[in-house]
Amino acid sequence: MKTLRRAGELLWALLRELADENAYHRHLESHGCRHSGAEWRRFSEERMRAKYAQAKCC
Amino acid sequence: MNILGRVVWFAIAAAAAIALGGIAVLRGEHINSMWLVMAAACTYAVGYRFYGKFIAARVMALDDRRATPAERLRNGHDFEPTNRWIVLGHHFAAIAGPGPLVGPVLAAQFGYLPGTLWIIVGAVLGGAVQDFVILFASMRRDGKSLGQMARDEIGKLGGFTALIAVLLIMVILLAVIALVVVNALKGSPWGTFTIAATMPTAILMGLYLRYWRPGKVLEASAMGFAMVMLAIFAGRSAAASPTLAPVFTLSAMTLAIAIIAYGFFASALPVWLLLAPRDYLSTFVKLGVIAMLGLGIFIVRPELQLPAFTRFVDGTGPVFAGKIFPFCFITIACGAISGFHSLISSGTTPKMIARESHACPVGYGSMLAESFVAIMAMVAACSLHPGVYFAVNSPAGVVGANPPAAVAQISAWGFPVTVQEMSGLARDVGEVSLFARTGGAPSLALGMAQIFARSGGGKAMVGFWYHFAIMFEALFILTIIDAGTRVGRFMLQDLLGHIVKPLGRTSWMPGVVATSALTVAAWGYFLVQGVRDPLGGINSLWPLFGIANQLLAAIALCVGTTILLKMHGWKYMWITCTPLAWLVTVTFTAAWQKIFSPVPAIGFLAQASRLEASLATGGATGAATRTLIFNARLDAALCAILLVMVATILADSVRVWAGILRGTREAHVVESPFVLSELRAEEL
Repeated sequence: MKTLRRAGELLWALLRELADENAYHRHLESHGCRHSGAEWRRFSEERMRAKYAQAKCC
Repeated sequence: MNILGRVVWFAIAAAAAIALGGIAVLRGEHINSMWLVMAAACTYAVGYRFYGKFIAARVMALDDRRATPAERLRNGHDFEPTNRWIVLGHHFAAIAGPGPLVGPVLAAQFGYLPGTLWIIVGAVLGGAVQDFVILFASMRRDGKSLGQMARDEIGKLGGFTALIAVLLIMVILLAVIALVVVNALKGSPWGTFTIAATMPTAILMGLYLRYWRPGKVLEASAMGFAMVMLAIFAGRSAAASPTLAPVFTLSAMTLAIAIIAYGFFASALPVWLLLAPRDYLSTFVKLGVIAMLGLGIFIVRPELQLPAFTRFVDGTGPVFAGKIFPFCFITIACGAISGFHSLISSGTTPKMIARESHACPVGYGSMLAESFVAIMAMVAACSLHPGVYFAVNSPAGVVGANPPAAVAQISAWGFPVTVQEMSGLARDVGEVSLFARTGGAPSLALGMAQIFARSGGGKAMVGFWYHFAIMFEALFILTIIDAGTRVGRFMLQDLLGHIVKPLGRTSWMPGVVATSALTVAAWGYFLVQGVRDPLGGINSLWPLFGIANQLLAAIALCVGTTILLKMHGWKYMWITCTPLAWLVTVTFTAAWQKIFSPVPAIGFLAQASRLEASLATGGATGAATRTLIFNARLDAALCAILLVMVATILADSVRVWAGILRGTREAHVVESPFVLSELRAEEL
């Protein structure tokens, strides 16, 4: 049961990582700011600029 | 290792040997797909446990006391120590593209055996090694990119060749995957409607994330997924509607023009509006469908209908021309070894690795998982009736444009199929026709639909599952086209900015429009060429893509060899030199044959000569034939450029290696300095 719960937690964390939600959380923590629409836009623009400067794999 | 461990690993190794022996030896009867699955899974396990771990411990000497760039340069953005399983999933999601799905389906024309063996052996000894070594090298160099490492380790020529290789690969890759989508959607109102519906869905997701619920990506993706599912159901009604069906029934050329126009606009639009939301959605759909396919294969355990070898091992195949060697090895690139992975292994991933030892499961393990996806694609393709497989994948230029001629030709090859059988199948999946749907995507969708339908839903659901699979493939292909065009635009702006300064500014609209148009024109030209090609386009474009991709792998392996040489002298050079030698042999042979083979279906120059002769004798007329001649020569020139690039990078690397071995060149390993890790276990 414990293993199953751990696997579920890992899966959820992976989904949040793929969705950039974890990265956004880290961004808020490292900048000491609170979540807001403007903050998300600032974060996602910077992240997407870096993300889409590289081609996606074939 | 204790006695029990030895017994278990001996049993796994024996199972791998028995399964590999079984698929290689059994003839004249249908074998179950579980043989392939077992052969792959057990070989991967042995490869990972013994070869991967050997490289990690003896060659790389991975040291968990050493702080990784993720810890030393931690900034909360790119550099962040992350749980190894999350990095593994992230890396796998980044490397898994259409390549490992489409390549094995095309190579199935040789039968299931050649492709399967190459996927398994190539991944364990080549692909996983390349990904792992480049990830390790980048991790020890503060997350440097492949281009930077090529410049530092080999020289400026290596770095420049890597840059040009990436540009060329992108142009050919975008053209060939766009062609895959065109061939999957031509004359298919259901499919076209579904894919068209993903665009407003993505835009809605983008607006939702930007203005309504900022930051709620998982929520938006769940909503987007529900809308896409609805679109698949609505697509059936659209295809049956006398008003909507003609609107969404498009020819190959119209679809090609639509995709080119889409690529242009999508690369100029803000990222948040279309690209990013669709990328999130396609990543989740991709991982979900791969998991579903794996589960489906385990539940259904389909029998392989294609034989171990077909008659087309002689090089006369209708899907693409050429013998097993070298064409099987460039057709299946991403499932066995893919140069493109080295860009990911030296991109985001090394900046997330928390402990050095995690590089083994992430670098080596992810590639094995990708290889397993290729095995699943092979199973899906080979579980189709051979006659059906060839009817779907053979271009009209080879088997004839009308169904009776096509089935007669395919049956004459020894793969009986009837017009009624094909019509029934098309009706089941809600299509007008499944003949000449080249490119691999439709036959893969057909195989997947049959596996999914047998897992749940039955025959009534085959149509839904077919279009679900088409949606899944097209969704992430369009994301690659969009992102690739944008990256091409950036590269071009960077390059042209040295000549005309304003062109280098990414905010200057005329520059954005001009460079987007140039990038789209480059891959769009090859796409239109593929659509016009009487042999279906895949025959010329896919080998070009395979050669270009393997060229990048050769560059990565040259970088890896140089680093291993500097670390240990010649002792462990064989680890990267063996796959490098194979790749160079394969790439040289394939490129040479594509240029100079006297067989017109293989050699571009022979194809041009035949068309010219036909023009001279009056057998063919007009501008269309002259365009085909020009295209064949253009492809030959492109192939020659790739050949010269392989030779250049190899010669440059050999020069560096010889210098190191003779002692005339510095063999100093330039790594980031050792810093003791202070990461706590609970942070991992």
